[in-house]
Amino acid sequence: MKEELETANRPDNTAFTQQRLPAWQPMLSAGIVIPGFVLIGLAFIGIGVALFIASQNITVLEKDYTGVEITSDCYKCSNPSDKNCTCKLDFSLSNLFEGPVFFYYGLSNYFQSQRSYGVSKDDYQLSGDLDYFKTPISACSPYQYDANQNPIVPCGSLANSMFNDTFKLYQIVNGTKKLVPFDGKGIAWWTDYNIKYRNPSVTPLKNAFNGTVKPPFWSKPAYELDTSDPSNNGFVNQDFLVWMRRAALPDFRKLYRRITEGDYASGLPAGNYSLEIGYNYPVLSFGGRKKVVFSNVSWMGGKNQFLGIAYLVVGSLCVVMSTVMLIVYAKFKFPEDD
Amino acid sequence: MQAVLSSDYSFAQFRFLERLLLVHGRWSYLRMCKFLRYFFYKNFTFTFVHFWYAFFCGFSAQTVYDEWFITLYNLVYTALPVLGMSLFDQDVNDTWSFQHPNLYVPGQLNQYFSKTAFFKCALHSVYSSVVLFFIPYAAMYDTVRDDGRDIADYQSFALLAQTCLVITVCIQLCLDMSYWTAVNQFFVWGSLAMYFVVTFSMYSNGTHINFPASFPFIGTARNSLNQPNVWLTILLTSILCVLPVVAYRFLLIQLRPTINDKVGTLTNHTGFCS
Repeated sequence: MKEELETANRPDNTAFTQQRLPAWQPMLSAGIVIPGFVLIGLAFIGIGVALFIASQNITVLEKDYTGVEITSDCYKCSNPSDKNCTCKLDFSLSNLFEGPVFFYYGLSNYFQSQRSYGVSKDDYQLSGDLDYFKTPISACSPYQYDANQNPIVPCGSLANSMFNDTFKLYQIVNGTKKLVPFDGKGIAWWTDYNIKYRNPSVTPLKNAFNGTVKPPFWSKPAYELDTSDPSNNGFVNQDFLVWMRRAALPDFRKLYRRITEGDYASGLPAGNYSLEIGYNYPVLSFGGRKKVVFSNVSWMGGKNQFLGIAYLVVGSLCVVMSTVMLIVYAKFKFPEDD
Repeated sequence: MQAVLSSDYSFAQFRFLERLLLVHGRWSYLRMCKFLRYFFYKNFTFTFVHFWYAFFCGFSAQTVYDEWFITLYNLVYTALPVLGMSLFDQDVNDTWSFQHPNLYVPGQLNQYFSKTAFFKCALHSVYSSVVLFFIPYAAMYDTVRDDGRDIADYQSFALLAQTCLVITVCIQLCLDMSYWTAVNQFFVWGSLAMYFVVTFSMYSNGTHINFPASFPFIGTARNSLNQPNVWLTILLTSILCVLPVVAYRFLLIQLRPTINDKVGTLTNHTGFCS
């Protein structure tokens, strides 16, 4: 009887309860750490070289057109009260700019990452929910209702501040201007165009917007963003989608068009070019800058020297550290008897 | 009986005291200190990244990470691994603990978690947060996807920063753990897998269509995690966060070996513990 009582209180003698589970106990030994560092260092140097070469092969042409200097043609447009101003940017290419060429507009000192600016949009409206066309959410204020209590569609400061400069590129061939064709299809993410943003399912689209007004800064309402192509009109307009995908940093660039068609399929040949800009977007009041960027891409994306150089630096540091550790290990190996 | 009920530990024979102190007491101190150091490290790192981002978002308290990630970080992605470490960790097994009672001395001298240790942990977090923010920042500055479309947008940057963070703190935990049972392995790799599963399912089409305002990150995981430069950035960030720690610990073992290191080497020379 007494023995049964004793064994009843005895704890289990399993590996789990007695903390004897089979386990791997790795140690930072020299045989693992030093070769590990050498391997990682060499691998990183290899990757760094590949990235650096890929980045060097990408060509980028950036031109600021804010019109701050009095010598620039866009200086006349920098007066904000001047509407519908056009200015010209001339440049020349000495070599073939290999295609496909991507044409971006860039903004500086523009904080799309600001929190209250970034949350100022109505996801329900933008997914085509007509209930929210009548009552936009309060996060959109002050762009929620206009002075006459009409709902603004699309509401919010993110949509209201949509970039509206227009660009036309001409190549000067024998003194005449030849238009370079732009391709504006598929410049936004596939998921944005097909799933995230949906037009209300009302035909014609104009009827869905009855009783609403356009954002104050826009010159045309959303259902007139591209009247020539119904699949690019309303909330699924490619330029609108590109703008709504807000940037993380204060200096950013956004895709405007691609140059892939006709005589320019293999790139922009050497020669003189003239870019005609419809200057509508005011940035000088907050010290912002506007620029255009021509770029081609590679497997690592756009031109970014940093990644290649960082890999090379870290790889070299690893190799150096492994030498240091080897020297320390050889000299100061602690005696193994206790 | 009353004494037993109101005490923290109770044992029947005096000879058990040696085991209580030298084995369980020592392990308990070790686990508690490792747990605290790691917990502070992962949360400080997580928070300091927002400090650096403040300079780039107009000081508007915009979070670097997705709101769902912030909710699930301490709840799902990093809870179980650190729990596993604090339940199962052992630096030397019980037989060796009996043979080397001077292993108990670090606990008496309060060496594993003191003001100095806390300060070193905070310094390590500051370094990690600098790497975890500025490497993605520089890698994503003015760059695009390999088909020319946007990758430097807020949502892709948030995804990149949070993936770097999760992988880095996971590797740091792997370095801190010295006793890898099957349960620990399951917790660590399971949490990492859980991160990817939850992220992809939250950023999928179905969740957005049903709850448009709650899941606005739709498409981000698919569109940015198929880019080689994103994965190369993640690799660089994690390695740069972790390798200095490895080098520092290795040099410390060589130049200033503690009793634990010496006993640990003896243990390993006679084969892995099981």
